[in-house]
Formats: sequence, structure tokens, C-alpha cells
Amino acid sequence: MTSGRPNPIARFLAAHLDRGALLRTAIVLALSALLAFAVYPLGEVASALVFVLGITIAGAWSGLASALIAAVAAFLIYNFYLTEPALTFRLATGGDLAPLIVFNLCALVSGVLAGRLKDHAQAARSSNLQLHSLLALSQELQSALRLPDVVVTVERAVHRILGARAVLLHFEDEALRSLSPLPIELGWLAFAHHVATGGTPPADAALIGRRLEPANAPHAVLVLEPLRPGKLEPAFVDAVANMVALALERAALSEQITERRAAAGAEKLKTALLASVSHDFRTPLTAISASASSLIAYGEKLDPETSARLLRGVVDECARLNRYTANLLEMSRMEAGGVSQPLQILSAAEMVVAVLHRVRPRAGERKLLLHPSDQDLLITANPSLFELVLINILDNAILYSDEDARVEVTICAEHGACRIDIADSGHGIPEHALLRVFERFHRVGKSETAGRGSGLGLAIAKGFVEALGGTIDASIPGLDGRGTRITIRLPLAEASNP
Amino acid sequence: MTNILLVDDEPALIAVLQPVLGAEGYSVATASGGVAALRLAEDIKPEVVLLDLGLPDIDGKEVIRALRATSQVPIIVISARHQEGEKIAALDNGADDYVNKPFEIGELMARIRAAIRRSSSLKNAPSTYRSGPLEIDFTARRVSLAGDTVKLSPKEYDLLRTLALSAGQVVTHKRLLAVGWGSDTADSQYLRVYIGLLRQKIEEDPGDPRLLLTEPGVGYRLASAA
Repeated sequence: MTSGRPNPIARFLAAHLDRGALLRTAIVLALSALLAFAVYPLGEVASALVFVLGITIAGAWSGLASALIAAVAAFLIYNFYLTEPALTFRLATGGDLAPLIVFNLCALVSGVLAGRLKDHAQAARSSNLQLHSLLALSQELQSALRLPDVVVTVERAVHRILGARAVLLHFEDEALRSLSPLPIELGWLAFAHHVATGGTPPADAALIGRRLEPANAPHAVLVLEPLRPGKLEPAFVDAVANMVALALERAALSEQITERRAAAGAEKLKTALLASVSHDFRTPLTAISASASSLIAYGEKLDPETSARLLRGVVDECARLNRYTANLLEMSRMEAGGVSQPLQILSAAEMVVAVLHRVRPRAGERKLLLHPSDQDLLITANPSLFELVLINILDNAILYSDEDARVEVTICAEHGACRIDIADSGHGIPEHALLRVFERFHRVGKSETAGRGSGLGLAIAKGFVEALGGTIDASIPGLDGRGTRITIRLPLAEASNP
Repeated sequence: MTNILLVDDEPALIAVLQPVLGAEGYSVATASGGVAALRLAEDIKPEVVLLDLGLPDIDGKEVIRALRATSQVPIIVISARHQEGEKIAALDNGADDYVNKPFEIGELMARIRAAIRRSSSLKNAPSTYRSGPLEIDFTARRVSLAGDTVKLSPKEYDLLRTLALSAGQVVTHKRLLAVGWGSDTADSQYLRVYIGLLRQKIEEDPGDPRLLLTEPGVGYRLASAA
């Protein structure tokens, strides 16, 4: 019934009608007509009101176009069947035109109202959708803490949530560079440049760009290319751009924090190393200086035995300084990046015997014993570092025990590893400190300045053992229900066949 | 024989100092911790205490305070050079002097002698001080250099007298400020100026002082009487 109508009306109807709307309108109309016939005996007015009701329902249900169609159709039905003379389209009186006008006005009002309602609903739905998109985007960005993560997240999330391809670019040394790991087209780069400099972008309107100005990071540009039909609203794109700028800011901030933390850590280590040097080197130096100057000043007054003891002390303290130096050197080497020293295949028992021999002179009355395993167990390690580690552990056992203490070293094979136990009957370690003893500069004792070790020994031991893929633990008790037990497990070398 | 109590947790240092102090004619008792030191001090009533500040059980300053509660025994602190704060705190708590690690034995012996002299001078105050060309007559308030009278302002004299009564021992900035200006919180710049004036008057070469020595960050020391 719309064919042959002028073009604008056809276009209007085409835009606002679909099959569903027509069907709904037809049903409403049919029902209204039936009802109108039914109430006709009550008078023409009743029938007309029924039609008004039908038109209103059609308008509210399917919009303005449906309402107008319903109005015209209702008028035709009303005029043809119900008004005198029946079964003609002739209008008997001017008053017969009134239903046509009322029907159409009613259709107009109800249709416009329904349309506005629908538009509001549509707008609410779409803004709700945008809100959800933004929320989803912000949630995804929240977990991106580093710049590369932010870039990947933006690209992935924008694609999935907004249906657009996104590329982030930022200024690096005054030049705009893409942050995307994938190459981007030159056209995009040119477009981004226009956005960044505030120039008018080329007519290529398929792209949308926003300049981002994070507070503490280089300025950046976000370029979007919608892949789905439908418009990305400018305000929505602004919101997305804001969110990405915030993410960039957060990434820069977290990077700064990490850097600062690393710098503070390095600074702390340096301070601790210096404090260790000044404290731990001064004690042996004091003994050496006092001994040597005594020998110069009172050489004749001292009996030969005392003189010899002073000289012996000088040599011992020099050895101690040497060990401190080795420990410090190892520590800074480990800090600089792992144990990269040449490795050799070593016999665990042979190493322990050699170290016990070296440590025995300063053990006093303490008994140092070795329980070797049945076979010779071989491990792969750097010999001088392994020696240093064993000396550090044995020195601790001697340092923190009384003269009558025992120190026992046991070597055995255990699940394809070489297990070395160094147990003593000394003072032991408080249970809460068992893990902390492997920290750098941790000393067992109350006073900060107290203790004779550098607090580096076990930290080096841990670094050494772990670099070789082994483990080291401290436990209590050691021997005779007291003291400390240090257990080292190192992988067996290929050559040994346990 | 003079009793010395040596408090240090470092066996290597005790192993050196004990025989050497013995050879110098002192009788030496040793303790490796603060608690043991306080107990020993009660028993042997030492005439000098050598105290390392870094003890394993109690803080060195606490040991000084506890010792001071019962006796006026001279306490010489053994400490690291860079720990000015520790040294000043120890001196404020009642220590008499300190020696920096590492030290030469001669330096330690000089400190011990100065401490012993000072503690005996507390009992019967000396009337004169003499070191090299410098001579001070405390009763006449007269200072002379190689026989010639040196004119000093009252404040200069008070400072010099304080240093001379503790000759060979360090006197802290705080104490000198209290003597000269009546308040130990006065500006130590004044003190530096007055020490400069004193050096002009008593030192042969004020740029290279031999009598009035600076203890950086802590105070001044007048050469021991000789």
C-alpha cells in the first residue's frame, strides 16, 4: 500500500519499518477491527474509540511509521464498513472526515512518544555497553604494570572490546615511535604524527587518533581503526584514551619504583660492605699493629715465647684478613652476576680433609672429625670457592663454640646428590634465626657491632651452593642435642657412579 | 703493681695485649663481655679499664655507666676511628679517653700513663704542669713559655688549665665549652677561635701544633706532662 508514494515517504517507511513491525501492526489492526465490529451496536463512537486504542497500541509497540499506517488503514476500514453508507468509501458528511483526522493525530502523538522512548532505551543500552567496555578495558589495563604489558593489553583489549585495531606510539628522543611489536603502516605513522603535532589529519577518516599526555612518561599517541561498522563516539574514544594514558603513567611509575628500589638495594649493599670492611678489617689490623709495635718497642723485655706468639698472631691475623678479602670479593662478584668461575670435578672428601687441615690451627682444643662415605663422591665446583665455603662454615662452628666442643663433618650419597653435614656441639642458632643466617651481614648475637665474622660467610655459601644447583640448610641441634648442623647437598658429578 | 682490666671479645687482641702490658709491669685481668667485666671490676678494683665498645652481651656505654655508678676508675675506650658519635657518647657517659683502632702499642701505653697520672692528680691536685717549654703554675695562675711569662685572657687560661689538668687525655668540645662559656651548647666556633689564639701564644709553630692537639670531631688534647 506504500507503492507509488513519493520517495521521501517511502524512504521514511523503509527506514522505520521491518517485517516484524508490519506484522505487529497488522495483528493489532485485525484485533481492533474485530473489537470495533463487536461494539458497533453500542454506536459509531465506541467503534472509533476502539480504533484509537488500536492505533495507540500500534504506535507504542512499533513506532511512528506503524502508527501512521495503522491510522490510515483504520480509517479505511471504519469508513468502508462502519459509517453510513456502508460498504462505500463515500463520505456522507464533512463530519465523516473527523475520524481520519483524529486517528492520524492520535497515531502521530503515540508514535512520536514511543519513538522517543525507544531512542532513550537505545541510548541507555549503548551507553551501558560503552560503560561495560570501559570497565573491561580498565580491568585489563590494571594488571599491566610494565610498558610492554600495557602495549599488548591495549591492542588486545581494544580489539576484543571495541572491535578496533589499536596502535600506541610514543616519543623517544623527540621522534615518534611505535610501541607495537608488530610493524605498522607508514600511513598510520603519518596520521599519528598529525595527531601528535595537533595538525589536521589527512582526509583518511577511517583512523581515529588521540594525543596522550601522561604526567611522568613521554607523550604518546593512540591510533584506532574501527573494524566493525558503527561509529566510535568521540567522547567514548576520549575516555579510552584517558584510560590508556593513566595506564602509561602507572607503568612509568612502577618502573621508576623498581629502579629506585634496585638502586636503594645496591646502595644498601655497598654501605653494608663498607661497614663490614671498616669493622671486620680493623680488628685483625689492630691485633697486627699492636703485636708488631710491641715487638719493636718492647722486643727485649718480652720473653722469646711471647715474642714468637706475637709473630704467630701477626701471621694468623693476616690469614684472617685474607679470608675476609676473599669473602668480600666473592660477595661483590656474586652481586655482579653469578658464579662464573671455572668448574672442576672434585672429590668432596679430599676437599674436606684439606680444609680441616687448614682450619685445625685455630680450632684450639676443639675436636674436628671427618666421617667420609664408602665411595669417593665427586662433585663439580670451583675448588677455591668450595674451599672458602667450607672454611666459612667450619669457622662459624669454631667461633660459636667452647673449647671442649666437637665438630663433625659427614659425607654421604643421598638420592643422587652428595650430602655434606657439618655439625657442632657449640652454642647453636636460635630457631627463629635458622633461615636468616644465610642473609648477608646477618650475625647471630645481640649487639650490632658484636661478633667476629663479617656476616658474609653463610651468604656466600648459599650463593655458591645454589649456583651449582644444590641446597644448603641450617638446623638444630647439631651434636649431643646442642649446637648447629649445616647440610649441603650438591649434585654428583657425571664421572662418579654411586 | 697497677691493675688493668682489659675488656674485649676479640681473643687475638687479648693475646697480644696481655703479655705486652705484663711486660710493662702491669697486672692484667681480662673479660670478654660486659657482664663478666662488671663482676671482675668489683673483685679486683682495677686502676685502669681498657674497654672495647663492641661487646657481644651489653652495650659498651652501659658498661661505662655501670662502672661510673660505683667508681672513678679511669676508663679508656678502644673504638674505631670513624665512630665519633660512639666515642663522644662514651666520653659523655664517663669514659676518660679513647684510642682508635688500629693503634700502636706506644699510643696505648701513653694513654694508660696519662690516665693513671690523672687519677692520682684527682686525689692530690698538682700545683704545676710542665711539658717541653710550656709551664703552668696553677696556684699563681701563671703560664710561661721557656721561662717567659705568657699573657692569657681569663678565658684562655681557664681552657688551658682544664686541658692541663687532663694532660695527655682528650677533653671534649662540650666540656671545654662549659668551662669557657658556661654552657655546653655554646657555638663551638668560639672554641675553635680561642684554641687558635692559645696556639698563637704557646706553640712554636701554630700551624703545626705539638702541645695542643686536635682530636677531630671529639675535642682537644694537651700533650702529657713530661
